[in-house]
Amino acid sequence: MINIIGNFSLWLALCFSAFQFLNSLKKNNNSLIYLNKIAVNGLLICTLISFFSLMYGHIVSDFSLANVFQNSHTTKPLLYKISGVWGNHEGSMLLWILILNIFNYFIFKLYNEKNLRFVSKILETQALIIFGFILFTAITSNPFELMQELNENGLGFNPILQDPALAIHPPLLYVGYVGFSAAFSISLAALTLEDNSIPWHTYMKPFVLAAWTFLTIGITFGSIWAYYELGWGGWWFWDPVENASFMPWLLGTALIHSLITVERKGILQSWVLLLSILAFLLSVIGTFLVRSGILTSVHTFALDPSRGIYILIFTAILASYSLFLFGLKLKKNPTNNYLSFFSKEGSILFNNILMVTVCFSVFLGTIYPLLIEAFTNNKISVGEPYYNATVVPIIIPAIIVMGVGPILSWGGVNKSKLFKKVFPAILSTLIMTFLTFMFYQSYSFVGLIGISLAFWIISNNIIMWFKKKEKLSIGMIISHLGVGFLILGITGSSVWQQEKIIKMKLKNEVKIKNYNIVFKEIDEIKGSNYLALRGNFYVYNEKRKLITILQPENRYYPITNNFTTEAAIDTNLIRDLYIVIGNGNINEGWTVRLYHNPLVMWIWFGAIVIFIGGIISTNNNLKKMKSLRK
Amino acid sequence: MNKKLLILPAIIFSSILLVFFYLLIIDRDPSGIPSALINKKIPKFETKSLLTEETFISSDLFNNEITLVNFFATWCKPCRDEHDNIKKLSNEDGLKIIGINYKDNNEKAIKWLKELGNPYTSVGIDKNGSIAIDWGVYGIPETFVVDSSGIIKYRHVGPITNKIYNKINMIVIAIK
Repeated sequence: MINIIGNFSLWLALCFSAFQFLNSLKKNNNSLIYLNKIAVNGLLICTLISFFSLMYGHIVSDFSLANVFQNSHTTKPLLYKISGVWGNHEGSMLLWILILNIFNYFIFKLYNEKNLRFVSKILETQALIIFGFILFTAITSNPFELMQELNENGLGFNPILQDPALAIHPPLLYVGYVGFSAAFSISLAALTLEDNSIPWHTYMKPFVLAAWTFLTIGITFGSIWAYYELGWGGWWFWDPVENASFMPWLLGTALIHSLITVERKGILQSWVLLLSILAFLLSVIGTFLVRSGILTSVHTFALDPSRGIYILIFTAILASYSLFLFGLKLKKNPTNNYLSFFSKEGSILFNNILMVTVCFSVFLGTIYPLLIEAFTNNKISVGEPYYNATVVPIIIPAIIVMGVGPILSWGGVNKSKLFKKVFPAILSTLIMTFLTFMFYQSYSFVGLIGISLAFWIISNNIIMWFKKKEKLSIGMIISHLGVGFLILGITGSSVWQQEKIIKMKLKNEVKIKNYNIVFKEIDEIKGSNYLALRGNFYVYNEKRKLITILQPENRYYPITNNFTTEAAIDTNLIRDLYIVIGNGNINEGWTVRLYHNPLVMWIWFGAIVIFIGGIISTNNNLKKMKSLRK
Repeated sequence: MNKKLLILPAIIFSSILLVFFYLLIIDRDPSGIPSALINKKIPKFETKSLLTEETFISSDLFNNEITLVNFFATWCKPCRDEHDNIKKLSNEDGLKIIGINYKDNNEKAIKWLKELGNPYTSVGIDKNGSIAIDWGVYGIPETFVVDSSGIIKYRHVGPITNKIYNKINMIVIAIK
């Protein structure tokens, strides 16, 4: 029953999207808004019904659905029954479609007397995107397929995915990707209509800000999951799928900033149009790379070549339509304005170029193995050293400029005045960097650069916060401050990380950094759907004072028949102590991995601060967009 | 700036998509990992046999017959998935299948083979994974095709799907 409701509303939604597309093609027609209202609401209602049918199937463990059978189990906790809906390829596509339609609804709400054709044009492209995704899901990845025979229980959900951070990671990420689809459609509408009376950038900005903000927090939750659940001691692995989310994020960063210059100075228009097209195309390419099985990654979904062909054709349609439109339609010759480097627009343009360059390096690193294989039939892999060598040096000047960019004025600034302005920040950066190195007693060139950059950003933004003389956006200051914290965390955890892998028997002791860790005992425990061995590690400081007891687990899930490790972590603002217990037995001891990860907390804290700043900015720009109606 | 340059993003993007398209339609194995052991003699090893009391000596096992070496474990779900195809392969003439039980519990492995059926001529125990290291095993399940003179001809990482089953059959016919 539930499969009929879900499937029917999915196909009905497909019809509504076709209706919205055809309807939006019409030129000035009185019934246009009315008909689109039917289409937009119909789409939203149908996808809601479809999505919640699947969720209902997962909650009541309806194993007649193949999707539920393959990914669920009656003993699974309720939270993971719900998140299990998007913990698989088919269900996650349905979530993607739902979010697309929620955005579609908001775009529809933008209609007013002045922008009839503009909003219709946006809805036309959105309808095309929605149509493509629904068709893809219904044909190649239908979540409502039935099982041949009935089963008492399901195959279970990969226990490594049973984690609160991962439950919320996909929805946040998809808000990001889908937000870029809105920017994409707005860009195409601006290109086709060439109507100068419409301030398209004011429409685009809140969408880009929302997309970027949610992408930031979505990526962060993915990292948090990797750090706490995978037990590898790190939080970023340059996996193709991580890169697939990082690339739109980089372009989004460039896009937000160049939108400011369009808004203030009316320059860089064509650049912004191109960036918003590319940001969404990269999101779709990311989907293609993940779901087609063309390359392997930790996020492998079930492989099916027909899916790959479909998404590729869809991407090709979107890409050729948008990029040829961009190439042919752009009438306005890009202005050859001379920009002063020491001006706000100069700093923004400079950072834009750097962000796009970083994005290009990441893109190259991600697809290079594929290109090599296509042309030479050799297999190579591109790993962390490549990214460290290409991304880090390009990012450094960008961060230096980021510190002063906001306090430069539009059009140019007096250089000696500028020095006076930033002098307090330089001073505080030097002092804080010096203190940090006194504290950690560890010296490295990269560490020095990273820490001073972090304090450079933090000091500048704190000073801006208290001065408030210039009209600076609070959201911007908060987000930039968050970036400062983020750099602090990234530098600390990557430059000063210490790792020890040893075999430990009971009562053995090991020293990492200033801590002595004693392996006291090991217990067998029973969880809701797993069995586990839990080690008890007593952590003492230099004065032999007990600080904490860490209890890493090695879990066995009988249903899916796999093992996972649960890292035990002691966190404070200065460092994380991270212990993972691996294979072993009482006679030979267990393999134990210990990490001393300085400043990790600041990565998560920084990302949350960026998120808050992003939300404030999105809200402010939404108000600006709404005021257009008056 | 030259206006013609504006068409450049479209051209670059299209060429990348073409490469993807080419990769999708050609017959390739994205998880395929090249092995340094191809066309080399098999690494020698000695271990205990899982099902009999005998010692398991590699030089005795690989002679004059085409042999499939399959690394498996009871804790590995894809191993269970590929088991039917291994059974199918074991019914074929002139092909011997040797199992290496990787980092596993002996009783569990014996029970597993009883339950699902035993396609292996013999099964060696690789308790600490040292045989797998010598063979350069990337991750189980993993399967090697060895010709009658003990030379490794083909290696596959991951479960033997129907597609790989056909491929292995073709390789076996080719090296006969």
